[in-house]
Amino acid sequence: MSSNCESTISRGYKAKRIIKEIYAYVILVVVVAVLSMLKGELFQRGNFLFPANVANLLRMSVPILMISSAFTLIFITGNMDLSVGSILSLTTVVNAILVLNGFSFLVSLIIVVALGVLLGTINGFLVMKLRITPVIATLITMNAYQGLARYLVPPGISSITNTETQKMPEWMGFFSKGQVFMGLSWAFIVAIVLLIALVILQKKTVFGKYLVAAGGNRTAAELSGINVVKVVWGVYILLGAVSALAGVARASYLLIGEPYTGVGAETEAIIACLLGGTVFSGGEGSVVKSFVGALIIVCLTFGLKSVIPEYWQLLAKGAVLVFAVVLNHLLSKERIAS
Amino acid sequence: MEANVLEIKGLVKDYPGVRAVNEVSFEIKRNVVHCLVGENGAGKSTLIKILTGACERTCGEILLNGAEYCARNPKDAREKGISTLYQELNVVDQLTVEENLTLGLEDTFCGFLRKTDKVKKIIAVLKDLEPNINPKERVGRLSVAKKQIIEIAKAVAAETEIIIMDEPTAALSESEINRLFTIIKRLREKGVTVIYISHRLDEIFTLGDYVTVMRDGKHVATKPISEVQDRSELVQLMIGRTVIESYIPKETQAEEPLLELRNVCNHKLRDISLTVNRGEIVGFYGLIGAGKTELARAIYGADDYSGEILLHGEKLGGTPEKAIRAGIALVPEERRTQGLFTLLTIKHNISAMNLKKISNLGLINTTRERNAAKSYIGQLNIKTDSMDKETSKLSGGNQQKVVFSKCLFANADLLILDEPTRGIDVGAKAEIYSIVRELVAKGKTIMFFSSELPEILNSCDRIFLLYEGEIKAELRNGNDINSQDIIHIVTGGAAS
Repeated sequence: MSSNCESTISRGYKAKRIIKEIYAYVILVVVVAVLSMLKGELFQRGNFLFPANVANLLRMSVPILMISSAFTLIFITGNMDLSVGSILSLTTVVNAILVLNGFSFLVSLIIVVALGVLLGTINGFLVMKLRITPVIATLITMNAYQGLARYLVPPGISSITNTETQKMPEWMGFFSKGQVFMGLSWAFIVAIVLLIALVILQKKTVFGKYLVAAGGNRTAAELSGINVVKVVWGVYILLGAVSALAGVARASYLLIGEPYTGVGAETEAIIACLLGGTVFSGGEGSVVKSFVGALIIVCLTFGLKSVIPEYWQLLAKGAVLVFAVVLNHLLSKERIAS
Repeated sequence: MEANVLEIKGLVKDYPGVRAVNEVSFEIKRNVVHCLVGENGAGKSTLIKILTGACERTCGEILLNGAEYCARNPKDAREKGISTLYQELNVVDQLTVEENLTLGLEDTFCGFLRKTDKVKKIIAVLKDLEPNINPKERVGRLSVAKKQIIEIAKAVAAETEIIIMDEPTAALSESEINRLFTIIKRLREKGVTVIYISHRLDEIFTLGDYVTVMRDGKHVATKPISEVQDRSELVQLMIGRTVIESYIPKETQAEEPLLELRNVCNHKLRDISLTVNRGEIVGFYGLIGAGKTELARAIYGADDYSGEILLHGEKLGGTPEKAIRAGIALVPEERRTQGLFTLLTIKHNISAMNLKKISNLGLINTTRERNAAKSYIGQLNIKTDSMDKETSKLSGGNQQKVVFSKCLFANADLLILDEPTRGIDVGAKAEIYSIVRELVAKGKTIMFFSSELPEILNSCDRIFLLYEGEIKAELRNGNDINSQDIIHIVTGGAAS
């Protein structure tokens, strides 16, 4: 009887492990398959999978792909950052202001990313030094950064855009809209490079290993001489910088500084990570699968937009989130090997 | 050779309200296995924490090789020459065995991990201890014993002058213990000093060169093992008196089954079937990780299981709420986090499991609440100046009595006690044992889960031995019981 018990456990474990490895990809394939069967008005030639469609989709979704990839790391440490959407809003506005005032692409990029580092540093300070619960701390900064984004847009207008005296330069849209390779933009290529860099960071560096240790068993990490405060703080800074980079991509795509553009981005990043099998309580997560999760989200958002009204889209996203969380929970119960 | 590697002089550690270490002074010679013994709360753990830099001393001196020693944190301690094997499991489940072994000790190149000779050496130490562990396996998939071995390997591989081992054998099987002993002896040959803490006195006689006994935060004695006559001398030094209660057999009476388990299985338990009779004290003994807590929780309905659990021949509902209504109550393993609402007062805690009894139409009748509290404070001799005191401010023993009161107030017939005497002092332990006996005399039935064999042998009528989630043997308590055999079985040996 008992030996029977054991073999079922280990067989069940293996099956779960495999499902866990591949389900994000399976969902992506299913979503794409379903969408390509639907006939939507917004799809060029009425087909979701038409190459120009796909390229357009990928150009458009660069910010969420970037943020979701980096968000995995904060999840692995068992922390949370709700302010990424507001950082996206704020940096989009700041980038637009800088470009409008004649700064070159590179200089404004450096300033904006530095701003992201600063915002991330504030988050890390609140969470790790003042020991405020991550959700509360970043809820505060989420509102503060969003408020700042709105403040930077002069009263009476809704976004930073061309005025009588100042015009956006022509190169503004090139980063996100210019087609450099198979219809893809520089921004998308940067997102892929970022993804690869994050994978290397996670798999090959001491920092990546310490993230898992900090999220998996903080006491053990501290007893092993790891400075958990420094490690987690570092992730907040990294996430701030990546969100700012996403802001540059967003400003280039929109050609204006829209102060509410990042609203909801944190929700999408969280869903993407959960779809990718990241464990809410920390210790586990894969950057690549979060990227795949983000692709699922953008396919749903873009695909459904042309098929059903917006309120249904939100509901559909909610349903996907519930599905992801439940599946995640079922798969993450670990069994002891015999 | 005879020089002292470590000298402790007048060491004191004060916690709010308690002096955990009181003017302790002794020396540890180089290149020996120095054992440290004492009951729970004797101050061993605090002493170790000071040595490893986990907490700061209040005053006193520690000399390492004649020079003042003060560790700021465990890493600092390791660099200065003291590494530690902790009592709690400090591994990261999500990392692999290899990654855990090198955690905090990685060789890097510009922040990138490198696999160097150092890593290979640490793995070689592990292979030496337990050849059956795959270094690429995720630690979360390993048994408690194997996790413990990983920690041992890590401490040994640090190659420091002094290694502190805090109950390293608590979760190990016999063969694993033997291998550990070989390793320790080899370490001693290499010139390492081992500070060894264990509750198993036999180990101290097999392994130790010197022994230091502590009691109530004070240093009692330090002497070479060869000058200690036998176990009872050591026990006497530890306890300070020789009173040990012995088991009084119960008068035989008609056996009436109260609780019945049929083929209970879950993530930890493997096919458990047993019967508990009315008016019995049934003991469950096993090492840490043997599945005691899981069994207690399954019966109480706090964990999922497959199979059947019957009370009075009726199937239980599988939730604690239903179990309480059926007359079962659990005194959980962790008193502070699971047994009590520590921020509430004694009276609020006592009535917490049965508010119906003191309320009308949802409104609490405070007179009845106070009366109930008053009666249990008297019955169980809870020492407090007021029933309005927060339970967090009580001593461990009195806290446990509040938990007992809470369960009794819920009209429980069957009480499940999970490690009821953990972390409470000797006097309070004796009181808990007598409460248990009184309860049985009043017709209650007790299931007693413990990892301390003496208390199981002192209290229980029947004893089940657990190992890795399975019941390995059932014994009737009496004079012919052999504790050697029991240890053999619960550490994975075959039942005779």
